[in-house]
Amino acid sequence: MTRILLHTRLDDCLAAWRASGYSVLAPSKSHELTRFNEVQHASDMALDLVLPERTIKDHFFPQTEPLIRYRIKKHEIDTEEMVPPELKRIFFGVRPCDASGLAIDDPLFGWDYKDEYWFRRRGNSVIVTIACTSADDFCMCTSVQLSPDSTKGSDVMLTPLKDGRGWQVLALTDRGNALLETIPSILQESDAEPAPPASVPVKFDIDKVTAWLADPASFESHFWKEISQRCIGCASCTFLCPTCHCFDIQDEGDTYSGIRRKNWDSCSFAMFTMHTSGHNPRNTQSTRWRQRIMHKFNYYRGKFDVNSCSGCGRCTRQCPVDMGITETLQSISNLPR
Amino acid sequence: MGIQEQYRNEAAELLSSGAVKLVIGYGEGSTSDRRRPVFIRSADETARLVLDANCIANLSGYLVPEGLLSDGKSVAVFLKPDGIRSVNILAAEAQVNPDQVVILGFDIDGGQASPLPGRKATDFAPLIESQKSTGLSTELQQEADQLELMSATDRFEYWNQQFSKCIKCYACRQVCPMCYCRRCIVDVNQPQWVNTSSHTLGNFEWNIVRAFHLAGRCVACGGCDRACPVNIPLRLINHRMSKEALDAFDHFAGESADQKPVLATFRQDDPETFIL
Amino acid sequence: MIYNPFPMRVVSKRDEAPGVRTLRLEFVKQEDHDYFSTNYRTGMFGLYGIFGEGESTFCVASPETRKEYIECTFRQSGRVTTTLANADAGDIVTFRGPYGNRFPIEEFEGKNLLFIAGGIALPPTRSVIWSCLDQREKFGNVTIVYGARTVADLVYKDELDEWKRRDDVNLVLTVDPGGETPDWQDHVGFVPSVLEKVAPSPDNTIAVLCGPPIMIKFTLNALEKLGFSAENVYTTLENRMKCGVGKCGRCNVGSVYICKEGPVFTAAEVQAMPQADL
Repeated sequence: MTRILLHTRLDDCLAAWRASGYSVLAPSKSHELTRFNEVQHASDMALDLVLPERTIKDHFFPQTEPLIRYRIKKHEIDTEEMVPPELKRIFFGVRPCDASGLAIDDPLFGWDYKDEYWFRRRGNSVIVTIACTSADDFCMCTSVQLSPDSTKGSDVMLTPLKDGRGWQVLALTDRGNALLETIPSILQESDAEPAPPASVPVKFDIDKVTAWLADPASFESHFWKEISQRCIGCASCTFLCPTCHCFDIQDEGDTYSGIRRKNWDSCSFAMFTMHTSGHNPRNTQSTRWRQRIMHKFNYYRGKFDVNSCSGCGRCTRQCPVDMGITETLQSISNLPR
Repeated sequence: MGIQEQYRNEAAELLSSGAVKLVIGYGEGSTSDRRRPVFIRSADETARLVLDANCIANLSGYLVPEGLLSDGKSVAVFLKPDGIRSVNILAAEAQVNPDQVVILGFDIDGGQASPLPGRKATDFAPLIESQKSTGLSTELQQEADQLELMSATDRFEYWNQQFSKCIKCYACRQVCPMCYCRRCIVDVNQPQWVNTSSHTLGNFEWNIVRAFHLAGRCVACGGCDRACPVNIPLRLINHRMSKEALDAFDHFAGESADQKPVLATFRQDDPETFIL
Repeated sequence: MIYNPFPMRVVSKRDEAPGVRTLRLEFVKQEDHDYFSTNYRTGMFGLYGIFGEGESTFCVASPETRKEYIECTFRQSGRVTTTLANADAGDIVTFRGPYGNRFPIEEFEGKNLLFIAGGIALPPTRSVIWSCLDQREKFGNVTIVYGARTVADLVYKDELDEWKRRDDVNLVLTVDPGGETPDWQDHVGFVPSVLEKVAPSPDNTIAVLCGPPIMIKFTLNALEKLGFSAENVYTTLENRMKCGVGKCGRCNVGSVYICKEGPVFTAAEVQAMPQADL
């Protein structure tokens, strides 16, 4: 016997959570875009999507984030730190890849200097994940040692029932347990069978890939030029990535006052590493694509013992020229050796 | 012989005769309905070329990167009429020498790709002329009309919602053959003309700058619209600017390599509707 | 929180060379000064900023033996440095740091020191030089080889005079051919060739080398010829940075984050990095 949540009780669930002070965000479509929006009713949710177009990363590391408000006076400056509120939020209907993305980025924002902007948002957010029972051509979680039902980064795991009436419910963390305690009468015991997880074929051999990337000779391989020839250098793959975390810091305002902001930035852009002198260590698209792949599957792995990729496939799904991590890593794992 | 085989053969011939050093075309993509740009440098690789109704991207932007044409050698490129118009604009703006561009022209109609006769941009002048007389896309016009029916307030709110989705990934800029500036205005910081932040105001700034920069230059290839990962209907903005240019100045972008840029040209008989 | 800088008051400014300026900054708040004093060691860097313009990364040019203030020397080139250059005494600017690793000068004790710098790269070297000269008795011979394009481009001219006068410092100055003035008494030639001419002994000697990439490359060759092992040559790397604390993702050379694992490296460490990423 396990606990289950029926679709028909989802509205009661939302009401109970709101009564406990949570706001609930779930995938939904608004203005022709699927993303995590605050929802009031179960009917607002788009839970049958393979993945929303935007990731939940946006709600922890927003595309532009005010850091400090400043006012400049003669021989004096007033500053005020803009601290993000520690909102009690439930992210409902997260996919395992997106949930994993948060866990992958935690060590980066936490090593040595702690980025409170990330952790204040992480602190009171509960991640309720729904295991995938369907996938599309671009899904590749199984290629990066995750799976359509992986629990990494999740507080509660929902596994769809075979009969389609609801989900098996499993709390994975204290935060998850606390969340379920707010809805004891809504959950029920049942022996209904869970649906099998989606079948996601493995697309490349990650061990082969990481071994090749770790070989110093690979850095200057002709491979990088060939694979990135058609890259147009936009940031759609990085900005839609659940783990890409690079940013810029910019001041915005008039002569006397303004706001210092942390804005998304991308290794795809030439300006990203350009020195004031004009020297640019990564001055071609191929060196920038190499950086992206190396960062995710070599450097990050070396520092935090995890690939900076959760296999969501958005990079390929959305790429204007049909590039992406999958093709590159497939090609690497097929290289003759 | 189908068009794909015909053009593969032609590409092989162009490469093996040394007439061109490179063929920019389409290849298989990561799914059955996706096509991706491919760069073919030798005749024995031409079997990678695919040409069918899924080949919709405008490849002319790949002619622009610094150094590609500087050796004086020619490049062949698969182009639909929109792409041919782009080449005309790039030539008019001194970005490519049209003599170095061999056009493997085709059009898509009724789910089929069919060859267009001619290999130089000028060969397609009658075709473009007839497109001009047909006018801008009626489909787009119908969509645009829906917006025109809205009150100004509602229309502003519509764009407010659309632009608030923008993440400034600049896919629209990078995919556009017309966005070839070495340093885009938004990347200039002395002075900082445009704020880099992607909040709604910053997004308005970017999208409006972009719209104006493309006025009279956009050929409605739809690349930006398809590239936008957050589904902003950029086609409608571009269409509106194209319509202004056509209605007010009889300017159809990319008519020929001699066409003057509409916003950089003054004629005595220009309408002066802005003077009250 | 993490990205909030310390307000600093500009105490004085000094022109070093055309377009190059030094600012001396003092902490506005005692607690900020205490933090700096506790944490600063020579070689570390900071992000210097002006609200409204942004932040720019450069070294702390003052030594760890003098922590009452921070000195920074920079060439006016971008948006931030232009505004910093225009700051006057009394103005408030900002400092975030000190970040990064340092020169392990306690390991240099008992050894001879050879400092080599080119142009605007004297500031990071100068921080180590004074950190050692302020405890002169702990070190052996001190040789400083400094070169710039022209006589006018030499920075810290007063300090160069002082080092020249000291009999416990051997100062070797040079300017590039054509950069000399009629009354120039010192060497004319590029740093690597002057270094080979001066030929300091590698025995029991640590070399500290800072300069533009091209100078570093040729000077490393010269040092190798003179018999210096790459483990005994220290240098600093710089890259564009935004956060300074290993998060913003741009300063890495290969897997090495300059902001956290650097900016100080031995020549051996630099040689192990992918050279195409420098």
